[in-house]
Amino acid sequence: MAEKLRVGFDVGGTFTDGVLMREREVLAKAKSLTTQDVTGGIVNALDELLSQSKVDPKQIGMVSLGTTHTTNAIIERRNLNKVGIFRLGAPATTAIPPLTGWPEDLKEAIGGSELVHIIRGGSEYDGRDIVPLDEKAIEQACQKMKGKVDSVAITGVFSPIIPDHEERAAKIVRDVLGEEVHITLSHRIATISLLERENSTILNAAVITVMQRAVRSLKQAVAERGIDAPLYIVQNDGSVMSADYAVDYPIFTVASGPAASVRGSVYLSGIEDGVVVDIGGTSTDVAYIVNGFPRESSITVTIGGVKTNIRCPDLLSIALGGGTIVKHEGEKVKALGPESVGYNLVRLGKAFGGPLLTVHDIAVALGKLDRKLNVFKTDFVTHPEKIAELPKPLVENAWEAIRVTIEEAIDKMKTTAEPVPAIFIGGGAMVVPKEGIAGVSEVLSPEHFEVGGAVGTTIAEIGAYAEGVVDLEQEARDGAIARVTEQAVENAVAAGAIRDTVEVIDVEEIPFTYMPGKREKIRVRVKGQVL
Amino acid sequence: MGAREILESWGVKDYRVIDRAAIEEITLGASILATGGGGDPEIGLLWTYKVLDEGKEIIMVDPKYVPDEVQVASPATLGAALVLTEKPPSGGVLNLAMRRLERYLGRPIEATIPIECGGVNSPVAYAAAAELGVPVIDVDGMNRAFPELQMTSWVTHGVHASPTVSVDDRENVTVIDTGDDDVLAENLARRAAMAYGGISWVATYPMTGRQVKEASILYSQSIAWAVGKAVMNARREHLDPIEELLKSLRRERGVEGFSVFKGKIVDINREFGSEATKGFTLGRVTMEGIEDYRGHTAQLDFQNEWLNLRIDGEVRCLPPDLIAVLDAETGEPIRTDIMRYGYRGTIVLIPAHERMRTEKGIEMFGPRHFGYDLDYVPVEELNG
Repeated sequence: MAEKLRVGFDVGGTFTDGVLMREREVLAKAKSLTTQDVTGGIVNALDELLSQSKVDPKQIGMVSLGTTHTTNAIIERRNLNKVGIFRLGAPATTAIPPLTGWPEDLKEAIGGSELVHIIRGGSEYDGRDIVPLDEKAIEQACQKMKGKVDSVAITGVFSPIIPDHEERAAKIVRDVLGEEVHITLSHRIATISLLERENSTILNAAVITVMQRAVRSLKQAVAERGIDAPLYIVQNDGSVMSADYAVDYPIFTVASGPAASVRGSVYLSGIEDGVVVDIGGTSTDVAYIVNGFPRESSITVTIGGVKTNIRCPDLLSIALGGGTIVKHEGEKVKALGPESVGYNLVRLGKAFGGPLLTVHDIAVALGKLDRKLNVFKTDFVTHPEKIAELPKPLVENAWEAIRVTIEEAIDKMKTTAEPVPAIFIGGGAMVVPKEGIAGVSEVLSPEHFEVGGAVGTTIAEIGAYAEGVVDLEQEARDGAIARVTEQAVENAVAAGAIRDTVEVIDVEEIPFTYMPGKREKIRVRVKGQVL
Repeated sequence: MGAREILESWGVKDYRVIDRAAIEEITLGASILATGGGGDPEIGLLWTYKVLDEGKEIIMVDPKYVPDEVQVASPATLGAALVLTEKPPSGGVLNLAMRRLERYLGRPIEATIPIECGGVNSPVAYAAAAELGVPVIDVDGMNRAFPELQMTSWVTHGVHASPTVSVDDRENVTVIDTGDDDVLAENLARRAAMAYGGISWVATYPMTGRQVKEASILYSQSIAWAVGKAVMNARREHLDPIEELLKSLRRERGVEGFSVFKGKIVDINREFGSEATKGFTLGRVTMEGIEDYRGHTAQLDFQNEWLNLRIDGEVRCLPPDLIAVLDAETGEPIRTDIMRYGYRGTIVLIPAHERMRTEKGIEMFGPRHFGYDLDYVPVEELNG
């Protein structure tokens, strides 16, 4: 298997990047315009990779992609499924019915409140039924839904710990509505926090067909080119899942793009713990890497106006990029941005004869830039005389202000006082200071970082997690963790991991507050290899 | 009868109608004053939105207009915050609790009084009032959040939690009547919540209009509202939320708060479940200074809520004075139940309300009650 080649694509809003990899070596890179159907852009990039490298398509052992087209479908309310919605929780939970707080147009796009049913059932945290599951009511609701729904979302109270009611409900839905209707069970989507998990589950059910179509046409395109390799899709934590699994869980790809970028830069640099600083034209994203994966955000993620508890990378965005305007009074820097000239840098920046002083111009003045910017058609400086006019103290003050800004952003993301390595990527990586940043042991800008996202998709690792609530007065801590770990391993295998390669990334314990006893929630994350 | 009719029967014409924007501001302010506890505001907010969407009205009245003899009570949730986020209530629980309390008392309840400033219990008292068709009085029992039922200005001013009615979604009802033993009432109410499945809905602290005026933290809702409004305004206008929060306290309460530290969480030590912790989450958080506070260390102890702050080993705040840890950019409070390594925040200290600082109050919820071998010293003296 080791000599098998890997192909990866990062489908962005404008460009689709592709790479062909052998181990850590980039054999070919390609860039094409992203198409509406996603597949077109990928196929164009794939053809370019194959013609550049002249490799035998049969040598390719893995095809993977990072894409946010499910997110776009939700945001644009395009091609969404009609979703039958079941909540198992009455008589509890009725104060806040499903779809509360949803934007009206999105509600309408998925079929509206008419398809919502709150059923008697669900569990208590300790495994008791709230009340017995009302199976008859589910059957009757399904009869009413016949012909009106493409997919069904089922959310039961405390299902992440006790999935029994959701599974029984799914069986009834399957019996009445048949095999064609896709069923999403909330305990497979997200964790404790009913309303956010329910929202995540409903959104997942709404984009299944979108993902299904993309995967089907991609598989076909790949096969037509003589490639006989499994297809993988990057999920929110930066690991991959098999495309067949992704069809059932498209919501796990909403942050696929940024996660792939972070993973790519980790891979290219070989740094497993540290910070990734992605410097663009108008802003810089800082992510923190733990064991090679982006650290997760712990706050609610809003998708298309709906609050979810989908796990996404923790990103800190600051208004600093190559095009950021340096505001000054004489030689004193007053502020960096937050405004940026963005892609108008080539018209408005001093280095291009424009009126505004930017971060880019400061780097030019200090001789930090020596190559052409690949995002622009022009050279990095067309009016050197404008740069020569800049007072030296102003340039030095600005450079220092940029250094401090980056230093503070990195420090905010760090969780330890120890110096950590930093990976600088993105179009602006060349125009910011890399020396003298406190708290950073070294700064790396690895080669090929401009296709870092595509490289990130080719890392053949799968991530998964599981969680459970335990009572430490009833069960030993080690045993409880082992039990949850076992479930996480099963989840990784279901997503396509090879069982023997699965290892634990971290174990998190969260105690229940305001409640006597020794109860806590245990969450275990694992990763495993696919090749 | 609706809230307006009740006010009419009291001869009151001056009241405030609470709309969606107002409830959002009040809830944010209450979450900030909840000093790290009080639970996730999302459930309480969504519940009040639904009540408003159904055309029910939320009306707030000044305590000075409340007749001495009317009967009021406090609707609240008691139990595990984590269970609540997974198992939101049925619409009827607080109605049921209040109606059963009425039956037990043999008198109708004519207004609600929020028990504390908290992300859940503040909006919940509003939602319950709207569903019952009664007004909310602009008071509460703490002007902060505390972990236990008896830790109120009501108790320290001679009003008791009993009788308390505790219910669940299946309409199970427990009546707790322990006379003047409020600690026992807490103990029993907590056990009922456990038996129900981790969360309970209570109608508690039945009292008269006169007792409301004598024993409550007056205008507690207005204080929370002013704080929430100031922070939301800061977000819109890109002002410093911490500065705006301090200004609002100056305006609304005439007190000086203190912004004493900015840092990030570098260590969390949680201990819970043992006999000594009485079922609460106890712990200590270490924050390392950033920006102007680089090189300094803050230590915060918590029992659900923040209790004690030390900076570089020196005591800077003791209960019942308030500690808020807020996101410096948004002013959003960082709660003890969801905080994690790496969280960044500004620590703000706020003097407790005078009615929380009586001798009895210091005895019942001062430093020694929480196990510190320290005399209470007001926060303004520690940071003067």
